[in-house]
Amino acid sequence: MKILWNFVRGFTATGRVAKMVLFLYIINLLFSLLLVIPMYNSLKNSLGQSEVGSRMAEGFDYIWWEEFRDDAKGLETTFSPSIIGKGAILNNLESLIQMRFFFIPPLLMVFGLFYIIFRVFLAGGILSTFNQDIPRFTLREFAQGAGTHFFHFLALMLLSWGLIMAIGAFFLDSINSIINDIAAKSTSEVTPFILMFALSALTFAFLLFVQMVFDYARIKIVLEESRNIFKSTLEALGFVFKHPFSTFGLFYLIYLIQAAVTVAYILLKEIIPQSNFPLVLAAFFIQQLFIFAVIWIRCLLYSSQMALYRYMK
Amino acid sequence: MEKSFTKEDRLFKKNLSLYILIILIFSHSTAFSQETFCKQIANYTMDVKLNTENKTIKATEILSWTNDTSYPTNELRFHLYWNAFQNNMSTFLTEAARRSRSISSFKEEDWGHCRVDTIKIMANPFFEESDLMPFMEFQHPDDGNLFDQTVFSVVLPRAIRPGQTIQLRIEFESKVPRPISRTGVYKDYYFIAQWFPKIGVFADGQWNCHQYHSASEYFADYGTYDVRITLPSSFIIGATGERRGKTDNNDGTTTHHFHQHSVHDFAWTASPRFLETIESFEFAPGKTTEITLLLQPQHKRLKDRYMNAVKNAIKYCSLFYGDYPYTTATCVDPAYNSRSGGMEYPTLFTGGAYFITWKGISRPEGVTIHEFGHGYFYGLVGTNEFENAWMDEGFTSFLDTEVYHAAYGEPVYNRTYFGIPVTFKDVRIPIESDGISRHRQTSNMDEMQRFAWEFLEGGSYGANSYSKASLMLRTLKRFMGQDLFSEMIKAYSQRFWFKHPRPEDFYAVVSEYAGRDMSWFLDQFVYGSGKLDYAIGKISSQRVKQPQGWFDGEYIKRQIKEDRYNSEVIVRRLGEVRLPVDVLVVFEDGEEIRETWDGQYRWKRFTYLKPSRIKKAVVDPEFKYVLDINRTNNSMMRKPDKLAPFKWVSNWMAWLQHALEFFTIIGG
Repeated sequence: MKILWNFVRGFTATGRVAKMVLFLYIINLLFSLLLVIPMYNSLKNSLGQSEVGSRMAEGFDYIWWEEFRDDAKGLETTFSPSIIGKGAILNNLESLIQMRFFFIPPLLMVFGLFYIIFRVFLAGGILSTFNQDIPRFTLREFAQGAGTHFFHFLALMLLSWGLIMAIGAFFLDSINSIINDIAAKSTSEVTPFILMFALSALTFAFLLFVQMVFDYARIKIVLEESRNIFKSTLEALGFVFKHPFSTFGLFYLIYLIQAAVTVAYILLKEIIPQSNFPLVLAAFFIQQLFIFAVIWIRCLLYSSQMALYRYMK
Repeated sequence: MEKSFTKEDRLFKKNLSLYILIILIFSHSTAFSQETFCKQIANYTMDVKLNTENKTIKATEILSWTNDTSYPTNELRFHLYWNAFQNNMSTFLTEAARRSRSISSFKEEDWGHCRVDTIKIMANPFFEESDLMPFMEFQHPDDGNLFDQTVFSVVLPRAIRPGQTIQLRIEFESKVPRPISRTGVYKDYYFIAQWFPKIGVFADGQWNCHQYHSASEYFADYGTYDVRITLPSSFIIGATGERRGKTDNNDGTTTHHFHQHSVHDFAWTASPRFLETIESFEFAPGKTTEITLLLQPQHKRLKDRYMNAVKNAIKYCSLFYGDYPYTTATCVDPAYNSRSGGMEYPTLFTGGAYFITWKGISRPEGVTIHEFGHGYFYGLVGTNEFENAWMDEGFTSFLDTEVYHAAYGEPVYNRTYFGIPVTFKDVRIPIESDGISRHRQTSNMDEMQRFAWEFLEGGSYGANSYSKASLMLRTLKRFMGQDLFSEMIKAYSQRFWFKHPRPEDFYAVVSEYAGRDMSWFLDQFVYGSGKLDYAIGKISSQRVKQPQGWFDGEYIKRQIKEDRYNSEVIVRRLGEVRLPVDVLVVFEDGEEIRETWDGQYRWKRFTYLKPSRIKKAVVDPEFKYVLDINRTNNSMMRKPDKLAPFKWVSNWMAWLQHALEFFTIIGG
C-alpha cells in the first residue's frame, strides 16, 4: 500500500512539472544533435549520389552497410543494423552490464561522460523541484537547486563509480573468471550460458541497487541538507535495508513501467516500415515520445522515492 | 645398381609362375569383390584399439600402395600428423603461436603423438619381407624445422616400379592429444582424424608430402579403408564409410567394422553421450544414402534442422555437382570445447551449433552444408589442400552459399545479446555480400594461389582461400551466364572426381565451356592481388547550347533555348582488375541505353544528345562482378534520394538519446 501511495504521489508531482521533463528532454535532444550532425554527414557522404540511397530509404542495404562499416572510424563504428528498435535498447543494456562503454569511440565516451556529469548537475534541480510543497518548475529555481547540490552530487557520483569499480574489479571479475574456468571445462555451452546470464542479471541488479541507494543519498542531501556524502550514503543504505519491501518494491515497480514502455515502443517501432517521408517522420515522433517517456519515468522515480523517504521518516 | 638388378631378375624368374598365379587371384578378387569408383592406390586395413584410460590408440595398419605413376621410386614418404601436437616446437604449433593459439596450459598428459613401432615390407609378388625401421628418417621439406616430426621417409631395398604394389605392415601407437585443432579427446568425446601413418602422394617422380601446418589441410591418394575399431561398449561411434558390423568382445569392449572404397582418408568419432539418428534419404529417383546424425544431448532440439541441412546439402550438391556416390553420410555435432567443429572427412563431417537458434539464422545449416560440400571439393575432387587451398575452400564456400540460398533463401541479420541470438528480420543478407568484406580488407595482402602456410597472416589465408575464390566463382558464374556456368562447374566436378586437379585443369574446363581461353579473366584473380572496382565518376546533363556570335562573318543572335540536352557519363576503373563491363544509362523520359566498355583504360566517357536529362547511370547493372569492392559507387543519380540519411540518422539518434539517458544509471 505504501508503495502505491507514494507511487501515486510521485506520479502526481511529476505530472505537475511536465515542463521540467520537457526541459530535460530538450537538453537530451540538443546534446544528441551535436553528434547527430557529423553522423548525418557521414551517412550522406557515404550514400552520395548512389542509387543505394533509394534502397536505404525503402529498407536496409546490407552490402552498403558492410562497405560503410569496413571504412568506419570513430562515431561511424557505432552504426549497425542493430540500432533499429529492440537492438538499440539491447545494445545499451549489454554495453552497460558488460561495461563495454570502455570500448566505444573516445569522442562518444567523452561526450557521454560530459552528459552524465551534466545530468548530475541537473539532478540537484530535479530534486529541489520535487522538494517544494507543490512542485513547480521555474528555470531560476531549478538552476539554483542544481548549483547548490552539484558538488555533493558529483562526489556521490564518484563514490558510486568507486563502488562499482571495486565490486566490478574484485567481485564480478572473480565470478567471471570462475565462470570462464567452468566454461573451459564444460562439454556443453548451456552451462556457461546459464552462468553468464545469471552473472549479467546479478550485475544489472547490483547496478540498479547502487542507483537506488545513491538516489536516496541524493534525496537525503536535498531534504536534510546533509553535507557529508559518506554519511548520507551509509544512511541511505540503512534506509533501504530498514524498509526493503517498500524501497525495492517502489523501485522495481517503476522499472517495470519502464520495461513496459520499452516493449510498447519496440512493438510500435517494428510495425512502422519507415519507407517514405511521412512514415519516417511518424517513427521519429514515436522515438522522441519514447525518449520523453524514459526521462519522465526517471523523474517519476526521483519524485516517488522522495515521497517514500518523507513518508517513512 | 646393376648387381641389384641381376639379383632381382633371378628372384623374379625363380618365382615367376607363382607370382602369375597370385596376381591372377589378386586381380580377380579385386575386380569382382566390389565395384570401386576409381583406382585404389593407397589401401589400408587397420585394426585399432582405443584405450580410454590412458587415451591411447594402438593399431596395426596394413598398407597396400601402388605406384600409379610412370616413375620408379625407392623411397616412401608418410605423414604423421599427430606429431604436430607432441611439443611446442613443431611447425604447426610454431605457426599457430603466431595466430595466438595458446597451449600454455598444456600438461604432460595433454600432448599427443603418433609413434611408429614397426614398419615392414610384407612379401608379395614384387617384394621380399624386409624391416624398414632402420631406414626411417624424419623429413622437413617445407621449413627445415628439425623439431618437426610430421613427415617421415623410408628407403626401400629396391625401387617400386610403375604399376607395382608394395604392402607394408605398420604397427603404431598414438597418444590422443587434448584438442588443439580439429582432433583430440575432450572428456569422453573423441574425434580422431589424421591419426595414422598415412602415405603421401607420389606424382611426377617426386613425393608430395608436406609437413603439418597450422593453416593447411590435407592431400592423399584414393583407396579402400577397411578398419576395425575396438572401444568400450558404452561408446557410440561414427566413422568414414559403411558399417559392416560389430562384435561384442565380452570384456566390456566392442569391435566396430567400417569399410569404404574410393576415399582418401578415414576419420572416426566416439562418445557415450551421442544421440544417434539414422535415416535413409532418397535424394534422386532410385538414389539413396544413409544419413547418420550424432548429436550432442543439449542439441536434441536441433535434430530436424541438422537432418534437413544434410538432406538439402545432398540433394542440391547432387543436382549442381553430380550425384553423391557414397552410400553413407555421417554428420557429427561436435562437443563444446572440442575444437573439432566445421571439419570435413570422406563421408563424415562435423557441423557446429548453438543450443539457441531461430528461423533465419544460418546455424547449424551453413556449416553443415559447407562441410558436407567438402565431400565434393576435397573428397571427390581430390585437390591438394596444401598447395591450392582455394580450390577446395573457395569452391566449397561458393557451394555452401549456393546451396543455402537455394534451400533456405536469404538469412537474416542477427546479433547475440547475453548469449541469446536476436534476429533483425528486416535486414536480409544477400548472397552477393558473402565474403566481400573479408576480401575488401585483405585483398592486396597476397595472391590467391599460394601454399596455405605462406600467406601473410591467417586473415589473408582465409580471405583468399575462402572468400576471394568463392567471389571469383560467383563473378564467373554471372559473367558466363547461369546455364553455361552450371554445365561447366558440374563437368569440372565430375571430370575430376577421384583425381587431383590443379589450377590449370580448372582453367582448361572454364575455357572449354566459354569457347575461348579464359586465362585473361582467371589470372587476374588467381595469380593477381589487384582490386576490382568500377565506379560512375560523373553524370551531367546540360541544355544544348545555341550558336551565338560571329560565324563566317555573320552574326547570329542567341535563339530560344532548345529542349535537348548534352549528357555525359564518365565511368571509371578504380581498381587494377580489368574486365569488360556493362553500363546502363537511364534518362528522365524512361529511355534506357546500354553500353559496354572494355575496361582497359582508367576511364571512359559516354556522351548523348537526348530530349531529356539523365536520371541515373549504373556500371555493372546486373551486379555480375560480386568481387567489386565498392558497390555503392557503381551507380549515380542526378537527384539522389535524400530520405535515407535522415531516416537512418534518426534511428541512430534514438539509440544515442537512449544511451545517454540509460547510462545515467551509473551516477546520474
